[in-house]
Amino acid sequence: MKSRVRTTIATKNCDDPEIAYKNTEYLEKFLTPQGQILSRRRTGFCTQCQKQLKTAIKRARHVGLLPFVG
Amino acid sequence: MTQLYETLVLLDNDVVRKDWKQAKAVVKDTITKYDGDLKSCRRWDERRLASPIKRKNRATYFIAYHGMDTDRIPGFLRDLELNERVLRHMMVKVDDLPEKELELAAEEDGVDFVVAAPPEDDAIEIPEEDENDENDNSDVPDAPPEATADAPAPKADDKA
Repeated sequence: MKSRVRTTIATKNCDDPEIAYKNTEYLEKFLTPQGQILSRRRTGFCTQCQKQLKTAIKRARHVGLLPFVG
Repeated sequence: MTQLYETLVLLDNDVVRKDWKQAKAVVKDTITKYDGDLKSCRRWDERRLASPIKRKNRATYFIAYHGMDTDRIPGFLRDLELNERVLRHMMVKVDDLPEKELELAAEEDGVDFVVAAPPEDDAIEIPEEDENDENDNSDVPDAPPEATADAPAPKADDKA
């Protein structure tokens, strides 16, 4: 049975300075076309970085930089 | 040592169009009113919002770095909340001032700095209601015709 290979998006390690709510072009990579945050399995981030990503995206949504849906 | 905060304020583009200095003063004055130690305050960007906020499609973003006493923060946030010129605000803790932030703020305070006028399409267009629709009762079905004297009256003892 073939295992399904999933590619990860993140290329950097922890303490990634690019994970900030103002860096919307970078954050958009981790959203689905519907605006949902990708899982850690897809992003390739560790626990802490995924948490930073989640916080940054939610902050960006609050100030109208990223969409909630779509 | 007081904590350093980063406050992002979304201002109405109408205020920026009227007077740039007044728009910047909205942010600066609010911080100084609550004894904030203002490090820098500058225009970050002017962009289209991902979703409308207070019926506006575009806004001007101001970013300020300042220290503030903890007990003054609730009043400061409430003041921003009540200000009609502020569409939205967000205050987060930061460890230190970013590089080049002071330079950018100083550059903006210079005399030569000119702010480009924001585009005009920031307000959401509300479709006007057609006046004819209000008095148009064509969709309402007609009232049932009243019983006439010729029509036979329903008998009460039909079921009996």
